Amino acid sequence: MKFIPDKDILLFKSCLVNVEYPGIESSTCYIFDRIDVDYYVDERQSCCTGLGHYYDLFDQISTTALAARNFHIAVETGHKNIAVMCATCYAILKKSAKILNQNEEARNKVNEILDDSNLEKREYTQGDMDPAQNIFHVAEIFFNKREEISSQVKVDLTGLRVATHHACHYCKVHYNDTIEGVRDPNLIDKLAEAVGVETIGWYDHKRVTCGAGFRQRFTNKEASLAVTAGKLQALKENKVDLLLHMCPNCQMQFDRYQPYIEEKLDTEFNIFHLNISQFIALAFGADPYKILGIQTHTVPIEPLLKKLNYSLESNQKVDVKAKKSIN
Amino acid sequence: MKTIKLKKESVQLVKDVLKDIKASPDLGIYKCVQCGMCTSVCPGARQTEYDPRDMIRRVLEDDETVIDDDNIWNCFSCYTCNSVCPSGNNASEINQILRQMSIDKGEGMKKIVSFAAYGDSFMELGVGSIPNNFFDVMVKDVGPGYMDLKINIEDIRADLGLGSYILPENAIDEVESILDNSGFKDRLEKIKRCK
Repeated sequence: MKFIPDKDILLFKSCLVNVEYPGIESSTCYIFDRIDVDYYVDERQSCCTGLGHYYDLFDQISTTALAARNFHIAVETGHKNIAVMCATCYAILKKSAKILNQNEEARNKVNEILDDSNLEKREYTQGDMDPAQNIFHVAEIFFNKREEISSQVKVDLTGLRVATHHACHYCKVHYNDTIEGVRDPNLIDKLAEAVGVETIGWYDHKRVTCGAGFRQRFTNKEASLAVTAGKLQALKENKVDLLLHMCPNCQMQFDRYQPYIEEKLDTEFNIFHLNISQFIALAFGADPYKILGIQTHTVPIEPLLKKLNYSLESNQKVDVKAKKSIN
Repeated sequence: MKTIKLKKESVQLVKDVLKDIKASPDLGIYKCVQCGMCTSVCPGARQTEYDPRDMIRRVLEDDETVIDDDNIWNCFSCYTCNSVCPSGNNASEINQILRQMSIDKGEGMKKIVSFAAYGDSFMELGVGSIPNNFFDVMVKDVGPGYMDLKINIEDIRADLGLGSYILPENAIDEVESILDNSGFKDRLEKIKRCK
């Protein structure tokens, strides 16, 4: 079992969490505050370049130079352990740290760029950031604290039929660092278990991509959505109510496009989508609008909350009619 | 008498691939046995004519036409190929290297010009976003609620106890300066010119 920290953590901001599902960030903070994880958010941290990188728009040296700047912010503030909410941030940051440590020519080039930008103080020294020991997904931090998570559960979610979608850029890029399975991923299944919910486990298509494929969603839309539809169909055959995510881009692909695919295929999937942080925060009794941020979802979460009404009311945690969703 | 002739075979392309900054030091391309595991799990191969196994063969056979093959643009960057390869090869990574070669040659720029707005907003705000030219399509596909979300995002974030997501000015200056000195700014202008 690899070492997973619970302190000196820089919670790394993600572009798609920022503007698509900000409730992932507020839910993550809500949980961290309750399971004794010491973390910090730095407003100076830039994006990882992930979308632009996989659109092939960014070159590797530019992505790596920006990573070096972010690594310096982490180190100088005493928060050397980076925790990400997005799987692509995870892949990009690990790749950049590997290049900076292993490729002297690239490291020198990055430091030259920083010097030319009057940022000598942010120069990278080999070993500043260990890709395996310092860069984690938030789900791993949760996994390490699953006993504390279990002890905080206030809402009974056992009535739901739950499946998981493990993000490719967490599982399949730096697969030697992945915990709880690569070909048969179970990290978020185990986190659901920690809040008392047994997932359906393996299903056909479980390890298949969400279909976003970065450029594919925009330039090859039919192929992109065909992949998404295949996964939704497999989930429907398994009578799944709720799919759990660990990446905002996957969540976008399913949540934003499910109604569109339903219309195109003249079928109904009726599957809800939540990030694992939102799901755990829900189990902790967090407010759906003030913490989970369900008002930014396209597939409304209110019917799911109604489905849970009994247990929610019994805990007096949630007024599902508190505020109307913008959708 | 039978003579043995050594074939003077060039391996320039695979050498160029391995020299690329993106290439992992332990990339197992020479160990590829053409088993086809990569293609068997590839969503791009299922939906299009893209074939990662064949792409790797062509790189190993020094077939430079693979760089100009439109099919390399159908990879989903999901790395499923990488996660199952028994030889430690990474077709997804090699695909990205070939795409960069295509961009460097000029042809590939046409493939990415529609994403250029991402670069502009990154330099302006220090954060990435869905390129704004795809925004109308997103609103059409997702519905008017998506427009409401974009209009109200700062208020929604405030309700959730989150601050502004845009970097402070001096941080944006640092980012912009890095992207200027790394050559990204020039690269972006070049890409935009191929419209």
